[in-house]
Amino acid sequence: MGNTNVIEVRGLSRVYRLKSGEEVQAVNNVDLEVPDGQFLTVIGTSGSGKTTLLNLLGGLDKPTTGKVVVDGVEVSGLGEAELVRFRREKVGFVFQSFNLIPTLTAAENVEAALAPTGMAKAERVERSTSLLESVGLKGKAGRLPVELSAGEQQRVAIARAFANEPKVLLLDEPTGNLDTVTGKEIMKLCHETSKKQGQTVVAVTHADYVKEYTDQLLYMKDGKLSNTMLEK
Amino acid sequence: MITHVYALKELRRRKYRTATNIAGFVIVVATLVALVTTARGWEASTVEPLKEIGTDMIMIYSAPVVPSGTGCYIANQLFSFPFNQSDIAEIAEVDGVDRAVPVLMHRMGAVVFTGIDPTETETNAVLPSNVVEGRYLTPDDGAVALVSCEYAQLNNLTVGSDVRYMKGMYEVVGLVNVDAANILPSHIYVNLPVGQKGLPNDSTGLVNVALIRVSDPRKVDAISEELRNRWLGATPIAASDLAAITADVITIGEETAWNISIALAVFAVLFTVRSQLAAVSERTREIGILKAIGWSKSDVVSQIFIESALQGIIGGLVGCAVGYGVAWYFLSTMERSLTVNPFVLAAGFAVALISGVAAGLYPSWRAAKLTPADALRTV
Repeated sequence: MGNTNVIEVRGLSRVYRLKSGEEVQAVNNVDLEVPDGQFLTVIGTSGSGKTTLLNLLGGLDKPTTGKVVVDGVEVSGLGEAELVRFRREKVGFVFQSFNLIPTLTAAENVEAALAPTGMAKAERVERSTSLLESVGLKGKAGRLPVELSAGEQQRVAIARAFANEPKVLLLDEPTGNLDTVTGKEIMKLCHETSKKQGQTVVAVTHADYVKEYTDQLLYMKDGKLSNTMLEK
Repeated sequence: MITHVYALKELRRRKYRTATNIAGFVIVVATLVALVTTARGWEASTVEPLKEIGTDMIMIYSAPVVPSGTGCYIANQLFSFPFNQSDIAEIAEVDGVDRAVPVLMHRMGAVVFTGIDPTETETNAVLPSNVVEGRYLTPDDGAVALVSCEYAQLNNLTVGSDVRYMKGMYEVVGLVNVDAANILPSHIYVNLPVGQKGLPNDSTGLVNVALIRVSDPRKVDAISEELRNRWLGATPIAASDLAAITADVITIGEETAWNISIALAVFAVLFTVRSQLAAVSERTREIGILKAIGWSKSDVVSQIFIESALQGIIGGLVGCAVGYGVAWYFLSTMERSLTVNPFVLAAGFAVALISGVAAGLYPSWRAAKLTPADALRTV
């Protein structure tokens, strides 16, 4: 584990304006530092702002105020083209509902993350096959998502997230649609793989067993992160 | 590129929508190709009869009647206006005329009887190449005849049979294939002097058609003018005249084809835009995922664009095939031949491709401008 912070967040807020004119403060003046290689878990109830925080960290959303720096890149100040490059190279996402493309096979779903990098077809195929094997899906590269179990689908999503060897892995309720046994397997896989590759992980969840794999645990409520930090 | 694989799979996933979109392009292209090809096939067939008998122009005497565009008109008009065979030699002397060939045609009821000069084997009312059984005529032939296959079949005639016309009886020495589109269709062909004598009022020294071959096709109009001036009442008919007869019809046909196709293309584009917008709307979350994993706006635009263009390409190819099929059917019922025109094919395909691409513009722009977070929030 390195000493430098891979993620630095200062005064981060995200306000949504509803059609009715009402304003909702999804993330409220958050400060956060995540050291290199750390596995951070944010626990909070539904609607606490966890997903919005992840979206802001991953450059999927723009903050209303505040600053997000990931691996030395100030995400909040990036233009569209730089944001695309940032999402492609610096972060990998795993979502609660797997979010695989239903018409593409497991291998093609992983390839979908590699294709925009300009990687040659043969290299893409080789890498996607290797990634799927590494998440325990040997021999299932040609299957469509509908032909895989929920746990297997999430493994494909994890392989896709690791495809471009991102510096940061963002897990949005990765076990939310899985039973406890499968959920633990998935968390173990994410934990082991990220540790092996030296990646920094931010996972948001409300599953208690996630604590087992966490270096740092934070709580989120009403858009605010609690200062209580539980070092393992 | 994965976008092509993805596009094909997406099109297959939405079978009904894809099929209806493609059907729209097929209708557009098939209409264009069918109408234009039919019009051009008809146009080509109007000049073909002259080429078939190896001539550039025929000269007859007749009242100025607007013809219908087929050989029947000429056959109906030429019998009453014979001229001296000696005029043929003079016609051959006109500047630009390479050869003038005499023909005498006569009709009794439905049967057409024609006297030809058998030494003319390249330009004539019937050529040696038309013989399918037996032999062609020779200058020494007396009471012998060539008979069209159709007439022979109707009257149970074979080589060696006798055929009667007016006061003459002729031995059949050959059967000839006379195309239905032939400008001078006839049933019985005999040596010219024999034919002249065989008619009820001795027609020795008379003919009523001059087949004219020119040395330079660009001089056809000038020669035509010269013939009109020198032989008052003469009606020279060249390929360009035959084409001109139907030119208005062809122009109207092509214009109509294009107008109908453009109108249909607009409908097809609007329909496909609506359909693609619905597809984009259904796939909002997918687009969010793609953006989250590093797809750029241009990648997303390409994706939607390729899907639209693919539908246009498939519609274009199928439309060209269907259009040619329809044109072939219409032309064959009119006994006209179909010509595959690369321009029409290219135009039909281009219309489908442009329509497909145009139909993808707005939906792909809409898809590209979605922010990933907004797209991912879509259920």
